[in-house]
Amino acid sequence: MKEKTYVEDIDRSMYDFRNEEKDAYRVKEGLTPAIVEQISREKHDPVWMQNFRLQSLQIYNEMEMPDWGPSIEGLNMENIVTYVRPNTHMSAKWSDVPEDIKDTFEKLGIPQAERKSLAGVGAQYDSELVYHNVRAEVAAQGVVYTDMESALTGKYEDMVRRHFMKLVPPRDHKFAALHGAVWSGGSFVYVPPGVSVEIPLQSYFRLNAPGAGQFEHTLIIVDEGAYLHFIEGCSAPKYNVANLHAGCVELYVGKNATLRYSTIENWSKNMYNLNTKRAKVAEGGKIEWVSGSFGSHVSYLYPMSLLNGEGARAEFTGITFAGKGQNLDTGAKIVHNAPNTSSYMNTRSISKDGGISTFRSAVVVNPKAKGSKSAVSCQSLMLDDISRSDTIPAMDIRTNDADVGHEAKIGRISDEAVFYLMSRGISEEEARALIVSGFADNVSKELPLEYAVEMNNLIRLEMKGSIG
Amino acid sequence: MNQEYELNINPLPAKTWNWLHMNGTSVKSPALLENGTVEQTVPSSVEYKAASENKADAAFSEIQTGMGTEMDGFLKSGDVELRFYTTKSQTSEKQPLVLNFTYGTGRQMANRLAFHLLPGSELTVLMDLSAEAESCGTAALQTKVYAEEGAVLHLVQVQRLGKGFTFYNDIGAKCEKNARVETIQLVLGGKNTYLGSRSALEGESSVLSSDVGYLVGADERLDMNFVAYHTGKKTESRMDASGVLRENGFKLFRGTIDFRKGCAGAVGNEKEDVLLLDDAVVNQTIPLILCEEEDVEGNHGATIGKLDEELLFYLESRGMSEEAVYEMMARARIDAIAGKIPDAGVREKVRAYLGDTQDEEK
Repeated sequence: MKEKTYVEDIDRSMYDFRNEEKDAYRVKEGLTPAIVEQISREKHDPVWMQNFRLQSLQIYNEMEMPDWGPSIEGLNMENIVTYVRPNTHMSAKWSDVPEDIKDTFEKLGIPQAERKSLAGVGAQYDSELVYHNVRAEVAAQGVVYTDMESALTGKYEDMVRRHFMKLVPPRDHKFAALHGAVWSGGSFVYVPPGVSVEIPLQSYFRLNAPGAGQFEHTLIIVDEGAYLHFIEGCSAPKYNVANLHAGCVELYVGKNATLRYSTIENWSKNMYNLNTKRAKVAEGGKIEWVSGSFGSHVSYLYPMSLLNGEGARAEFTGITFAGKGQNLDTGAKIVHNAPNTSSYMNTRSISKDGGISTFRSAVVVNPKAKGSKSAVSCQSLMLDDISRSDTIPAMDIRTNDADVGHEAKIGRISDEAVFYLMSRGISEEEARALIVSGFADNVSKELPLEYAVEMNNLIRLEMKGSIG
Repeated sequence: MNQEYELNINPLPAKTWNWLHMNGTSVKSPALLENGTVEQTVPSSVEYKAASENKADAAFSEIQTGMGTEMDGFLKSGDVELRFYTTKSQTSEKQPLVLNFTYGTGRQMANRLAFHLLPGSELTVLMDLSAEAESCGTAALQTKVYAEEGAVLHLVQVQRLGKGFTFYNDIGAKCEKNARVETIQLVLGGKNTYLGSRSALEGESSVLSSDVGYLVGADERLDMNFVAYHTGKKTESRMDASGVLRENGFKLFRGTIDFRKGCAGAVGNEKEDVLLLDDAVVNQTIPLILCEEEDVEGNHGATIGKLDEELLFYLESRGMSEEAVYEMMARARIDAIAGKIPDAGVREKVRAYLGDTQDEEK
């Protein structure tokens, strides 16, 4: 009798190391006005930001938990520490970063990547950035890449104030309100008109403290005719207590500008990843989302694109791999608000070893969006019969002058495909590994080479197994 | 005076964002519904009896419907009689069972039907649901089907209700081994139409085939919830919805293929094709595939929009007006579904209805 291929879980050993907390400053567990005020004081917020935080906390307390996604009953805010500051200050010199933190990011390959293929790097450790640097030639083009706290009080304060949590207001949902109350860290990027940043910027978020939350805020403004590729990476060691990530990403894509936002998320399996990402795209602009979701215990992640200018475009390319103990609810939302806008969603999800993956999407075409087009393609692969895979795509079309297509497929690895590859001299195990790698290539081919190689290595590791 | 109840109907089997307003529908319905008048032609091999709920086969009470438990409970709680039809085993009935429901204006009526198909039997049921073009009122129809091993049911419903009518049409089916339920539903009128349909494919190799065709016009609303619930091995479902929206017509299609653990070898396919004729239409679609079994194949496809520009140009270059082209394409969609009716006599009858509809519109 033929036995099934055993597909290994993702090897997270390269991410699952932890440092002792040394002399870190942390607030008490839980969420109270006093804690929010304390965070605000520690961060030397301007008055408007302190008020904003307290208003957000009030909204958080008023709003209900979501009643539609994976269970988050295991998340108790009374046990979450919302602010943990490492015992260091942000530096633009790698040599100034404390040894243990430096060692963490070196293991994750961040400085190597900076030297090889990045125009700038931000590294956040728990609640604060510890390193931020941008290449001189990029800065000379007028590109601003700095931490959110510096931007909040420096010469870009007005710009930040005009944009901060305007795309994702605290009333958007309960965890947006939580973010508004306790946010800390993250990056601010401004690309001036006509400037093309040829190589990517990257921010890397590492959550080391057990039982803590990370609430970084990323605000990117790509002005008219400019181009930027921004990469976001995240990881954490695994603890046996719940950790929380409720970051917020707000992207403003100007007229005829293009922003590519790539994420490789590899949080540990005790993480509740309740992240919010949103882009507003002006006339002729384009937002490209590339998203790989591999980690977390529970994820709610649906980048949203608001196509507000005529001819604006959105592309979303995603892969989600849900293994043992994971319930990953991912997808995208696209709202067509202007004429001749277009969108394309192309996703893959893989479920194995009891993992649950859900693809959830919404395409909304409003009456003003005449001449708009949208296509959605989602494919799911079930690798065993103890896992689960759901597809929940919604379309809301409010004009006749639109062209909307959708296709979804769910299934297992095709026996015919395996047989074909085996007839060409490839072993069954290799054949199945090849098929899964091919299944994921919608994302890997969209990443810079170094990241695509890393992602493919992750998938190959998973596919190591035995054929009985 | 009738008291109004709030009912939550057509629940989406897996919830999504509340701001989309697709998770279910909340409606108000009159508390008192009288039994609707039915004219029926029952073939000789089919046994008919009116039965109260407590005498009905327990299998029917357990059958869930597409509109959900609140509508089921609402209808059970009233005095609406259950009309009970039983086929003869191993008998393929050539004559259709015809049920004509004529709804009077200003009335609130309901009917509950149960079809018990004994092993190896086959039956075609044609339901004509009609009311005067300008009439208003409320009507509810619940149809439950229990198809035993190898039984086949062809269920055809043609809805031609008045401009002020609210209609609840709720179906629940349970299929044993090799049973097959085929439904064809044409929605050609009514102000508010709510369709629910849930088929439990429990027996190995049981099959659901569902076609819905609709024309939704000015101030009309069509709200649907279709569920194929696969638990049996090698079960198959196919759900196709095709229709036309005009003026400010509103349509919401929920379609779910639910592969439950143990349904190895199951296949489910959903397809939706919507033609949008006017700028004020609202089209909502949410096709779900839920899966907890590895060895299955599920597919969904949707095409939503106006007519292809090249096709339009071609037909206009042959002398047709744009309006005539759209009328032709709208009619073609309904004709294509009517053409799937297996019984030639029933097919002709439906086409005659369609002819009437078209004439009335002229």
